[in-house]
Amino acid sequence: MPTKIETRLGTIRIERRLTYSRLASAATTLTAFLLSLLVVAVILRVMGLDPARAFAVIGEVFLVPRLLSESVKQSIPICLSALGLAIAFKMNYWNIGAEGQIYMGMIAATGIVLLHAYYNLFHESMLLPLMTIASFILGGAWCLITGILKAKLNVNEILTTLMLNYVAILLVDYLVHGPWRDPKGYGFPLSIEFPDQAKLQFLFGSPACTGLLVAVVAAALVFCVLDYTRLGFEIKVVGQSLRVARYAGMNVSKIILLGSFLSGGLAGVGGLSIVSGIIGRLRPGASPGYGYTAIIVASLAGLNPWLVVAASIFFGGLLTAGGALQASMNIPRAATQMIQAIIFLFILVGEFLKRYRIVFERGGRT
Amino acid sequence: MEPLVKLRGIVKRFPGVVANDRVDFELRRGEVHALLGENGAGKTTLMNILYGLYQPDEGEIYVKGRKVRLRSPRDAIDLGIGMVHQNFRLIEPHTVLENIILGLREPGIRIDFEKHAERIRLLAEKYGWRIDPWMRVWQLSAGEKQQVELLKILYRGADILILDEPTSVLTPHETRMLFKALRRMAGEGKGVIFITHKLGEVMEISDRVTVMRRGRVVVTKSTKETSPEELAYYMVGRSAILDFGGVESAPGEVVAEVIDLEALSDKGVPALRKVSLAVRSGEILGIAGVSGNGQVELAEVIVGLRKATGGKVIISGIDATNKSTREIIELGVAYIPPESVRWGIIPEMRVVDNLFLKAYRYPPYSSKLILNWGRMFEKAEELVKEYEIVTPSVHAKARSLSGGNLQRLVLARELSGLIGEGIPKLIVAAYPTKGLDVRATNFVHKTLLRYRRLGAGILFISEDLDEIMMLSDRIAVMFEGRITGLLERGKADKEKLGLLMSETAPS
Repeated sequence: MPTKIETRLGTIRIERRLTYSRLASAATTLTAFLLSLLVVAVILRVMGLDPARAFAVIGEVFLVPRLLSESVKQSIPICLSALGLAIAFKMNYWNIGAEGQIYMGMIAATGIVLLHAYYNLFHESMLLPLMTIASFILGGAWCLITGILKAKLNVNEILTTLMLNYVAILLVDYLVHGPWRDPKGYGFPLSIEFPDQAKLQFLFGSPACTGLLVAVVAAALVFCVLDYTRLGFEIKVVGQSLRVARYAGMNVSKIILLGSFLSGGLAGVGGLSIVSGIIGRLRPGASPGYGYTAIIVASLAGLNPWLVVAASIFFGGLLTAGGALQASMNIPRAATQMIQAIIFLFILVGEFLKRYRIVFERGGRT
Repeated sequence: MEPLVKLRGIVKRFPGVVANDRVDFELRRGEVHALLGENGAGKTTLMNILYGLYQPDEGEIYVKGRKVRLRSPRDAIDLGIGMVHQNFRLIEPHTVLENIILGLREPGIRIDFEKHAERIRLLAEKYGWRIDPWMRVWQLSAGEKQQVELLKILYRGADILILDEPTSVLTPHETRMLFKALRRMAGEGKGVIFITHKLGEVMEISDRVTVMRRGRVVVTKSTKETSPEELAYYMVGRSAILDFGGVESAPGEVVAEVIDLEALSDKGVPALRKVSLAVRSGEILGIAGVSGNGQVELAEVIVGLRKATGGKVIISGIDATNKSTREIIELGVAYIPPESVRWGIIPEMRVVDNLFLKAYRYPPYSSKLILNWGRMFEKAEELVKEYEIVTPSVHAKARSLSGGNLQRLVLARELSGLIGEGIPKLIVAAYPTKGLDVRATNFVHKTLLRYRRLGAGILFISEDLDEIMMLSDRIAVMFEGRITGLLERGKADKEKLGLLMSETAPS
């Protein structure tokens, strides 16, 4: 990064901060958030909409129980994928393929349901456990492919994870248009509807409550893995410096394989939470980009598992609010995505300012 | 006569430190002026201010009697100031000629390369250098690169020359050549500032010496009127004479042996050509040589970080050739890597994490899966005390520690027997004191001697001949991937080592 920019008016330098208090950190994030809302307000005003009403709609999402439950439901796939990404990113493994791993998870979960429905291979009480295991394994394997390429051939994981997304998405398209299409579905590209035992609603019969429980348990697991296991320690060391990891005698390839598998596996379970928690069947485009939103969530949360849960609910809320805004104020979907992006951008700048200080010096070049 | 440079009351603050505190400095025409001090004393900061890289917070700069403001190196160059940095700033794939004329401001659009080449050749000859202006820089030795750096400055007509630790990359022979050339430059009325922390060089080359400590000037003296002991006292503020006590060693059986070892460098060219050595327990085997002659590769092959392409490594009687790093660690091999502050430490992790970078996977610090942080914290506290690591706490990030303390941390991790029982059998220490100040260097020396006494075999790689001769029981010299000589303690002197370290040695 350039640390010094010379302009006509003076020199701008970027210096690393040595310390930054927690209070100042919280204040920075809050200021960034408020500033982003201000910008959003201006944009809405330019679009000829009433910002106050829009903010009221967004606010309602977190206050009205029905909408809040919808928000939480939406947040589960984001949360699980982001937890997986937290592991990968700690390892400095740029997995941007959560979306594809989500789709593979959905395929695995649906596959188990179909095995039950068509062949009745196992008791229905076994459905959810088997679906969970299968979606974890298939999502994990999807990411593991890129891990193997990275560990053995040093192939850049950004490219492989991204490209595999399209493969997974198209694979779902193929399945629901072809072999997995509901025979009684009038030719629509949908799978059969999941039986109740395959739906993620065992807690109070509510997908939101059940999903939240799953998310919190997953966050706790990720937290424990990262902070209390040998693998977690190794993942962090590998993420900081491959060279030091080798020097310490760590088996870097093995760690990358395990780490990428865990990362993809969590996203796979995220896929399960979509088909059995939100939609109740498999259909094309089942994930409207949860895997990409998860990248934002993981970095906003600073890779902290608990903050991932909170940030996911916030983004789940924004997604729900997007729908509400479309419905009640006729704001286009693109505009709601822009609002998300603006908030994210401001918070990111805030994070940068926590780490670096920008110094202006008077007097330009002669 | 007007001094070439006069600095008055220079103050430069960085977050948390005052790097220069009301510093006065003067450079006269025709003198070589040594700027002496430990690492972090503020020497380089001061010179970066004079070269326009930093702006002082307070103070005045006079060059040739005129008060000036140096906003960038451009201003400094225009005033006839030139600096040779520790790391060369040359474009390797380009020719010497291209490097030297790069950035020259000359009217016209056509460059007369032949004319410049001829002039450069003449200039080089004046100082006794044989440099072909058409050679590509990557083909040159470190000493020749330095000559190119100097030529670059001289060609612009600089008469104020700043050299930052110029001898750290040179063989003794090249050092002598440099000193001759510097003398000559001073004879022409130029002023030379020579930054160093080596006392011997100060006595040899300088006319006057300014000693800095903790950002302040302690004294400026004529070199004739001082002594190395006095300078050492000024540098660290106390007598720095080492007392080793009982340097006699009683070497035991061979703990590690390499036989006809061959390996490639990172670039894929042979770095080790049939190297054979044996380290016995209770001895320090010094490896002398200019860095980049295969020393690091030797260390890395032994500890399992680099593949051997031929030959054998035997540790404690077990064939350890191309075993994994982890297996070799488990054989009782400790490794202090070169630039361990960069390659042996993770700055963004805590002190405790860094202490247990290797031992985290062994009982009692973890079971098969789960880490036992309680045990680790307990032990970390002990180690911080035992190795006198100055840190706010074991929870602090390693990045907040100074270089000397980080090296203590590495020593604690490698030597304190966290893995297996007792002390390491073999200690491979690659440049363990490079870049450290006198106090930290002392600590490293003492620690290595302590482990020698305890019976470890130590392979000690250094390019500082004084240090090598002081600590080693035997000294092997490496040049271009070969061992060019093996000398017993007491039979080695600088002349002999110097010959073995360069191509002038009989093969």
